[in-house]
Amino acid sequence: MDVGVIVKAALDVNVLRSDPSGRISIESIPLVISEYDRNAIYEGAKICESTGGKLYIYSVLTWGPMERKLKDFENVIREALALGGEEAFTVVDKSINSSEPMYTSEILAKLISKYGSPKLILAGEASTDMTSSTLAPYLAAKLGYNVATFVKELKLGDGYVEVLRDADERLERLSVSLPAVVSVTGEINTPRLPTLIQIRRAFRKPLHKFTLADLGLSPIMSRYEDYKVVTVKRKNVIIEDESLEGVADKLIEHLIQEGVVKR
Amino acid sequence: MKVLVLLDSNKYVSDIHGFIMKAGFSDASLVAVSNVEVSEGFDKVYRVGDVSSDILVKLGSEIGDFDLYLAPHSKKCIEALSFYAGSRGIPIVTEVTDFSIDEGRIYRNILSGRGLVSYKFTTPMAITIATGKFKGSISKTPEIINMDISPSTQLLSTEEKAFGGVDIENADIVVGVGRGFKAKEDLDMAFELAKVLGGEVGCSRPIAADYHWLDEDRWIGISGKKIRGKLYIAIGISGAPQHIMAANDVKVIVAINKDKNAPIFEYADYGVVADLYQFLPVFLERLKTRLGV
Repeated sequence: MDVGVIVKAALDVNVLRSDPSGRISIESIPLVISEYDRNAIYEGAKICESTGGKLYIYSVLTWGPMERKLKDFENVIREALALGGEEAFTVVDKSINSSEPMYTSEILAKLISKYGSPKLILAGEASTDMTSSTLAPYLAAKLGYNVATFVKELKLGDGYVEVLRDADERLERLSVSLPAVVSVTGEINTPRLPTLIQIRRAFRKPLHKFTLADLGLSPIMSRYEDYKVVTVKRKNVIIEDESLEGVADKLIEHLIQEGVVKR
Repeated sequence: MKVLVLLDSNKYVSDIHGFIMKAGFSDASLVAVSNVEVSEGFDKVYRVGDVSSDILVKLGSEIGDFDLYLAPHSKKCIEALSFYAGSRGIPIVTEVTDFSIDEGRIYRNILSGRGLVSYKFTTPMAITIATGKFKGSISKTPEIINMDISPSTQLLSTEEKAFGGVDIENADIVVGVGRGFKAKEDLDMAFELAKVLGGEVGCSRPIAADYHWLDEDRWIGISGKKIRGKLYIAIGISGAPQHIMAANDVKVIVAINKDKNAPIFEYADYGVVADLYQFLPVFLERLKTRLGV
């Protein structure tokens, strides 16, 4: 059975750059593969291996400007192909410059229905940069698919998937009829690292790039967000002393002064 | 203003009411859809079998249109609200931490809590509300309507999570343990520290999810629990973004790690670069002396 995986080239949360006014400088933050997408790809690859299906990667370059982000984006898609994807369908368009699930879902829904339309679509439980967890269910609604999110175990049945999903206080085992979009947690598997051969092979796999016009979609105009650096500043004091006793005493004094430890 | 609230637990009612009050919508008509008994604070409550997947879509024609769709930031509510928003093509913003009436903007954290994004508040809009950021109470006695309706996904069984009954989310002081600990028994040092400080022990993902040394209710992370007390001492934790995001609301963060390049130091107020096996016994002893324990 063919499986699709949604991959996001996410802002690298370890690299935060801002301008003097405190605005996050999105254009200068590099993109990396969103962490749980690796789990989704590995889970999809396992299903494809056991059923003889093809694994499609779907992705939209959401963070602009396109010219500066394209290289990072291609690296992320190549990584997804090295991890097990067979063919990638992507959308890269100048008018897309922010990561809003509402727009991204609409573009992905169009892309998926036009290319491959696998009956099972996997995604990570949340992206590492925005962590909204809304994309999988939003996309499912757009596609007219069923949905299950925060899935820790996945088993393919005949025309359905059986999943174990995290429901905060408890776990729920569900039967979800296909077609479906399923978002997976980091616990579902331990993704394998691609071998050198897989990495090299990934460069020969097809990577298709479409514009919004190619998909019959209009340019995205609306942009109503504003990104700022959080003003909660940490003190970043490294406590040093000649002895560990000295370090401990200094730390204790700081904590008492902060009023968080009571004498 | 007509507001629909999706609820899967009564513990979130204060967050929801707090948000509605802060937004100035106290006079709004409030309709809840819930799988638990809700006895107060809404004009009408639709009782349903479950609140995930397509439940709101199934109810949609029955209950009509609203200006604002609210839910707590719980996993099932995120799913159902996003699915509904997708089916209607309306914007959704999750884990909203603040509402500014003057600017007409709502706020949420991104980039592991290091960034703040604001969205123009428009209607209709769907919003999930961050836990513990709003507090309020609206007094209304609802009309209860029982609906024989459940989502399309079929529930086969449920499993209780292994919980130790610990509430790190509301703890003032949390001592966090990570992969720097080499054996389960060594966590005793952290438990002793937590006891001396009057706090609880939390942990990073591998300790709960991979090693199963501690129950999941001690897991600090976006897939686990979020902490917001006054002190967090992260020991032997490198500081994965998902962990840091869940600890970012804590007033004072202390990091103890032998790797001076560990990301956790960037997010800490006080850092100690030392081997926890050498530092913790000394710290414990000095702390006990200082506090007279």
